[in-house]
Amino acid sequence: MNKKKIYPQWFLIVPLVLYIVFFLLPSIMGVGYSFTDWNSRSVLNGTHFVGLQNYIEIFTSDKDYLSGIGHTLMFTVVSNIVKLIPALLIAIMLQEGLRGKGFYRTMLYLPSILPFVIIGLIFKSILNYNNGLLNVLLEAFHLGFLKQKWLSDLGMVWKSIFGVDAWRGIGYVMTIFLAGLNTIPKSYYEAAQIDGANFWHRLRYVTLPMMTGSIMINLVFGITYGLKVFDIIYVLTNGGPGHATEVLTTYAFQLYSRGQYGMSTALNTVLLIITAFVGVFIVRTLGKQEVQQ
Amino acid sequence: MKKRFLAVACSAAMVASMTAGLATNVSAATDEFAGEELSILVSAGWMDNRYDETIERFEDTYDVTVDLQTIPADQYMDLLQSKLSTDSCADIFWIQSNPFAIESVIVDPEKYCIDFTGAEWEEKIPEARRDACKYNDKLYGLQLWHNSPEYVMLYNKTLFEENGWEVPANYEELKALCAEILEAGITPWFLPGADGWQHQLAFFQIGGCYEEAQPGLYEALNNNTATFADNEKMIEVLDQFKEFSDAGYFGEDWIGTDSTNMSNEFGDRNCAMALANSSFIKQIQEDTGTEDEFGLFLEPLGDNTYFPASPAGSTMFGYNGTEHPELVKEFFNFVTTTESLQEILDNSPAYTNIHVNDDAVEQHWLPEEEEFMNSIPEEKMSISVLQNGTKYTNDYWNNFGQDMVAFCQGEMEANDVLKNMDTNRAEAAKTTGDEAWK
Repeated sequence: MNKKKIYPQWFLIVPLVLYIVFFLLPSIMGVGYSFTDWNSRSVLNGTHFVGLQNYIEIFTSDKDYLSGIGHTLMFTVVSNIVKLIPALLIAIMLQEGLRGKGFYRTMLYLPSILPFVIIGLIFKSILNYNNGLLNVLLEAFHLGFLKQKWLSDLGMVWKSIFGVDAWRGIGYVMTIFLAGLNTIPKSYYEAAQIDGANFWHRLRYVTLPMMTGSIMINLVFGITYGLKVFDIIYVLTNGGPGHATEVLTTYAFQLYSRGQYGMSTALNTVLLIITAFVGVFIVRTLGKQEVQQ
Repeated sequence: MKKRFLAVACSAAMVASMTAGLATNVSAATDEFAGEELSILVSAGWMDNRYDETIERFEDTYDVTVDLQTIPADQYMDLLQSKLSTDSCADIFWIQSNPFAIESVIVDPEKYCIDFTGAEWEEKIPEARRDACKYNDKLYGLQLWHNSPEYVMLYNKTLFEENGWEVPANYEELKALCAEILEAGITPWFLPGADGWQHQLAFFQIGGCYEEAQPGLYEALNNNTATFADNEKMIEVLDQFKEFSDAGYFGEDWIGTDSTNMSNEFGDRNCAMALANSSFIKQIQEDTGTEDEFGLFLEPLGDNTYFPASPAGSTMFGYNGTEHPELVKEFFNFVTTTESLQEILDNSPAYTNIHVNDDAVEQHWLPEEEEFMNSIPEEKMSISVLQNGTKYTNDYWNNFGQDMVAFCQGEMEANDVLKNMDTNRAEAAKTTGDEAWK
């Protein structure tokens, strides 16, 4: 036994058992059920193995589950872009000598502690075409030409979702960036300044390389959040108008609600595979970065 | 004198002791539940405020708390199904029931529902509604619904008269009328698409015209020998619906508009017509104080001439997994007393009557309702609306609504909307193990 170890090996047993029983096992069972016809009648009729039938249905059905997968991936990419870049810039701004930066930090962080259901209800009201606050304000400022059907126009609905999502999420992302910025020694900036570096040079050659860790953390959080996105879409549009904002999880939820549990778990398994693939890719990239540093 | 005094005293003592005994018994019955909590899961619009006073009385009588969980309509069915399948449902839950709904929505009523067979209140449910409350001859549900015309065209009669507009009898007349109304700067047909459940009514409430175009259609749909897809009349109606949507007859943003403001829109004369219950007339007048008169006519899409008969309505069920089965039974008994029924009706601005077998309940029929009902021939009132006359159709109400929106936005074809309904019904039938789909 290695006496240098602070904790004995058996300390691992309890969390490991809990993890296996409550996470790993259900996940594996879920994957198993995706190959069955498990449904709300199974209590009476039993559950039968159907092979790849559920997966074939997902990829060939008229129900357009594929567009749900496409929307999920699109949301993951865009929501990260619209949150990470502004959050980084705001964090840098609030790190510099801005008066009242504590107040701004608090204000920006506050939306992220609100539940999605509340946010959804508030924004559904604000974005209402006929009497929503946004359009009423635009009218009041003689900007009526900017009025939009924010949640019912096919060309606008995703932008509205990204806007609301960014409003909620930027503060959280910014906080992680601020933590990262605090770890950069001031002497690096002083040295860069002596060498004649302007703001952009400092950002490019000091801040960003030193922030790799924070960026990676935000990316991992953002990507996993994006892939399993559900609540913000459910409360704002419920997948609509029509099926324009359906994502993988809203389809899975609908199927589960209708008692088609097998199909629902098959869709979730697809999500699991995508998440695992992206996760492995990120971890490998992260590993390489650390080695280079 | 002494004897008389003694007799009176004895009688008084007897009455007093009987009353005391009665009081003790009532108290014992109500004390039995003291401190318990009864939860009710319901979709928005099914209980509204009309049960508030009755629930309050119930709480006071039994010294219990009622936790009313009202869920937005577009999310309700999803939530209910999840709650049932995870054995975490409220003590009482509601569904929109029809003769097929208990099997297809609740799936396993024996597992999920309290069996009320033999309950006294069964007699209060009219014969026509009992099929929506029973499954395999067992009584599970209680349907307290009204018998007014449901979701027919409601119009501002005064506005029509002032502008010389005539009530349309067919699709072409309706289209011409809508063009005129829009020209006058008024929304011709207020359609709240954001509710997720209202706009489908325009398609489903005219089931009689589909049956007329293809006699035996309902039976064929229930036997799986006919499909929604390729049904010419249905495609025609969907095309007409889209034509109205494109022309702006439903309002500038009907897809993003909900029904919250509907009575005000009528009261302010911002709209001229809507698909609504007849009793909505009363609600408009009470909400807005308008002196305008309102009337009703049959929905003319598809040149329909049939009344939307519907032996269906929101229905409450006791959850079998409840920890308070006796309290649930007491609640069902309580709401079916004449006092409660009258209270529920009187507190329903949207309903003029309650369809129950209880002559002691005083109904409030509107003259407009009576006039409208009298104008329709008997033979045009016997065909049920499509969603309640065909199996598994109502279960996919919201999905069909989403497809209709997608169709109106050019994302789908009319026949694909219908095909999806066939696919969904087939899935439901497969889940149920329906012989006709094997």
